[in-house]
Amino acid sequence: MSNDLLAGVLQALSWWPLMAALSGLVMGVIVGAIPGLTASITVAILLPFTFFMEPTVGIGFLLGIYKGAVYGASIPAILLNTPGTPAAAATSLDGYAMTRKGQGRRALQISLFSCIVGDLLSTFVLIGVTAPLAAMALRFSAPEYAVLFLASLVLIATVSGKDLTKGVLSAGAGALVGCIGLDAMTSTQRFVFDVPQLLGGIPLVPLIIGMFALSEVLVQVARPPAISLSGEIKGTGPSITRKELAAQTPNLLRSTSIGTFIGALPGLGAEIACWVAYGIARQRSKTPEQFGNGSMEGIAAAESGANATVPATLIPMLVFGIPGDVVTAVLIGAFVAQGITPGPLLFTQHGAVIYALFTLLILTNIALFAVGIAAIRSFSLVIRVPNALLMSCIVVVSLAGAYSINSDPYDVVIMVLGGIAGALMRSVSIPIPPFIIAVLLAPQLELTLRQSLALSDGDLSIFFTRPISGVLILIFSAFFLYTAWKHWAASSRRSMARHT
Amino acid sequence: MTPVAKRAAIIAATALLCLPAISTSIAAEAYPDQPVRLVIPYPPGGALSITGAIITASAEPHLGQPMVSLIRAGGGGAVGATFVANSKPDGYTLLLGDPSINVIRPVLEKLPYNASDFVPIARITHSPFVFVANKDAPFSTASEMAAYAKANPGKLAYSSDNVNGWTYTAFELFKKAAGVTMRGVEFGGGGPAVTNVLGGNTMAYAGVPSVVKDHIASGGLKAICVSDKERYKPLPDVPTCAEGGVDVQWGAWIGVFGHKDIPADRLDKLKHAFAGLTKDEGFRTLMGRINADLAYMNASDFDASLQADAKSLR
Repeated sequence: MSNDLLAGVLQALSWWPLMAALSGLVMGVIVGAIPGLTASITVAILLPFTFFMEPTVGIGFLLGIYKGAVYGASIPAILLNTPGTPAAAATSLDGYAMTRKGQGRRALQISLFSCIVGDLLSTFVLIGVTAPLAAMALRFSAPEYAVLFLASLVLIATVSGKDLTKGVLSAGAGALVGCIGLDAMTSTQRFVFDVPQLLGGIPLVPLIIGMFALSEVLVQVARPPAISLSGEIKGTGPSITRKELAAQTPNLLRSTSIGTFIGALPGLGAEIACWVAYGIARQRSKTPEQFGNGSMEGIAAAESGANATVPATLIPMLVFGIPGDVVTAVLIGAFVAQGITPGPLLFTQHGAVIYALFTLLILTNIALFAVGIAAIRSFSLVIRVPNALLMSCIVVVSLAGAYSINSDPYDVVIMVLGGIAGALMRSVSIPIPPFIIAVLLAPQLELTLRQSLALSDGDLSIFFTRPISGVLILIFSAFFLYTAWKHWAASSRRSMARHT
Repeated sequence: MTPVAKRAAIIAATALLCLPAISTSIAAEAYPDQPVRLVIPYPPGGALSITGAIITASAEPHLGQPMVSLIRAGGGGAVGATFVANSKPDGYTLLLGDPSINVIRPVLEKLPYNASDFVPIARITHSPFVFVANKDAPFSTASEMAAYAKANPGKLAYSSDNVNGWTYTAFELFKKAAGVTMRGVEFGGGGPAVTNVLGGNTMAYAGVPSVVKDHIASGGLKAICVSDKERYKPLPDVPTCAEGGVDVQWGAWIGVFGHKDIPADRLDKLKHAFAGLTKDEGFRTLMGRINADLAYMNASDFDASLQADAKSLR
C-alpha cells in the first residue's frame, strides 16, 4: 500500500493533473454561482471529454468542478437570495439577511471558511476511514433511511420561524407537490393529468430558483423597500475577525460530522445535509432567534454541512461502486471509461490512481481558499448595482437559468409558478424552507417506508427490531423530547414571570 | 449618409444576413447537415447515459455530423420516450432505448407513447442477467433458491429495480419457471439494489455482469446462474439457469431507435452509420473498458427480436 501511496502522491504533483484540478475548481465555482447550472449537468456534459485523458487529469478535473460548484452556489445565495444549487438554499436564509444589513462580506467569508473546513475534515475521513465507514453504510437499508427522513422532516419543521402551524402547512403543501409524478414502486401516475412532463415530477432546481429568487423580486415589486438596497449599503461591510471564526469551532465540528455522515449514506447528499446541520445548529444555539435574521452560526452550519458531503459521497462510490447522487454516478462512468472500476477490487488494482486523486482533493481544498477570495472580491461588486437593475438582472438570470437546465420550457414554467407561489406564501408569512424540504424528503420518506414494509412483509416492528434503526429512533426521540421539554420549561418560566 | 441611404444600407445588410438561412434550407437535402440528438431517457450516471456518451463521442466520423446526448429523464424513461415520439420525424432526434421502455412497459402499462411509435435502427449491446445472492444466503444454485422459496413462502426477499424494469422482469420469469413466490422490494435502480443485497438486507438480485462482476470476484456476492442459452464467457464458472434447474432466458439490451416516420433514405443513412460505428476501433475500446457486451444487431433482425419479445410477454 505504501508503494501505491507514494506513487499516487507523486502522480498528483505533476503539471497536468494539478492544472486540471485547479481549472475544474474555478469552473465549478463559476458554474455553481450561476443559478440553474449545477455540478451534475456540467459533469455530465464534460464526461465524454475525459475519456481520452489520463485518469488523474480527467477525473481530477471533474472532482474539481464538483467541489467548486458546492461552494460557488453560496455566493448568489448570500448576495442575491438566489441559491446557485439546492445545497445552498439554507445559506441564503441568513446570508441574504446579512447582506441586507450591510454585512455581506462577513457572510461570504464565514461561508468560505466553513466550506473549506467542512470539506477538509471530511476528506481526512474519506482517506482514513473509508472501508469501515462504507461497511457501516451497507447496513443502512430502507428502515434506517425512513427514520432519518422522518427525523429530518420533524427537525426542519422547527426551522419554520415563529409559527409552527404555518411551518407544518408549508411542509404539507410541499409533500403534496412532491407526490406529483410516477409512484416509484408501482409506476402509478399521480396528479399527472396526462401532461407528459409531469411524469417526471416537479423538478427541484427551477422550483428553488423561482421560490427564492423570483419571489424576492415579486415581493419587492409589490412592496418596494423603504430604502433602496444599494443606497444604504456602501460596499459589503467589515471583514470577519479571527475571534468570530474561532467561535464557530464547535458548530463547525458538529455540522461537518453531520455532513460527512449524511454524505456517506448512498442517496443522501448536500441538499439534505445543509438543512439538517442548520436545524440542529439552531436547536443547540444560544441565540436561536438570530437564525433567519443573519446568524453567522446558521451560515457556518449550512455551508460546512453541505460541503462535508462532497468527499463523503465518494466513500460508497469508491468502495462499492454505488453512486450516492447524480454527480457520483457520472463519476463512476468516468472511472469505468478509464478501465478503472470502482468497487471492492479498486484499491488492490488501482491504488496509485486513487491516492493521486485523494492528494488532488486536498490540494484543491487549499486552492479553494485563494479561488474563493478572488470569487468574493469579484462577485461583491454586484452589490453596488442599483436595486432596480439588480432585480431585473435576477429575473433574466432566473429565466435563463431555469431554461439552461434541460433546454426545456417546462422548467421555466415551473420556475415562474414557483416564484408566484413563493411570493404569495411570503405575503402571508408562510415560510418557504419547509415547503422545499418536504418536496425533497416526503417522497423519499414514503418510498423508504413502503420499502421497509416490503422487506418485513408488512410488519411494522421492523423499525424497532433492526438494531441501527432502533438506536436511531431512541436517539431522535430523546433529542426531540429534550428540545420540547426545554421549550416548555422556557415558556412556563415566561408565563410565571408574567404572573409574579 | 443621408437618412434614405442609411435605411437602404440597413435593409441591404439585413437581407444579406438572411441569405445563409435560405441557403441552408436549400442544402437540407444533404442529411445530416446539423448535429443529431440522442435522447437518453434516464438520469445521468446509469448504463444508458454512459453508453450514450461513448456513442456520441465516437459517432462523428460515421455520421458526418456530431452527435450530442440530450438527457430527458423522468417517469422511468417515459418522459424521454414520449419526447422522441412527439418530435419531428426528420432524423435529427433519436432515442437510446432498452427493453423496459420499448418492449415491456408499452405492453403492460398505459403510457403516453406506443412501442410502434419507434423504428429500430441498431442494437448496440446485449447482456444476460446474472442472478446473485448475498454471500451468506442459504442457497447457491438456481434449484436451491427455488427450493428455499418453496419451503419458506414469503421469506425470500430480493432486490428489485422498478415495476416492469429489467430486474423485476428477470425475477418474474424465474418465479414463473420455478413455480414459486418471492417478495421483491423495488429500490429504484441497480445502485441501491446492489447495496441492499451486499448488506444482507435482501437475499438475492439479478443484474448485468458489469454491475455484479467485481462483487462476485471479491466474494461479496455469490453467483447463482446466468440467464442465457450458454455460459457467459467472462464468468465461465457460472452455470446457465437452465443448467441450474430453472430455465430463464432474458437479457438486457441497449439500442438506438428513431421516430417511425423518418424518411427511408435518412433511415438507411442512420443504419449504415451505426453499423460502421460498432466496428470502429475507438468505440470498441471504450465499450470494452466499461465491460459492455457489444452485440450489434442490424435493424431488421432487431425488429424481429423485439416483436418476438413483445409476443412472449403477452
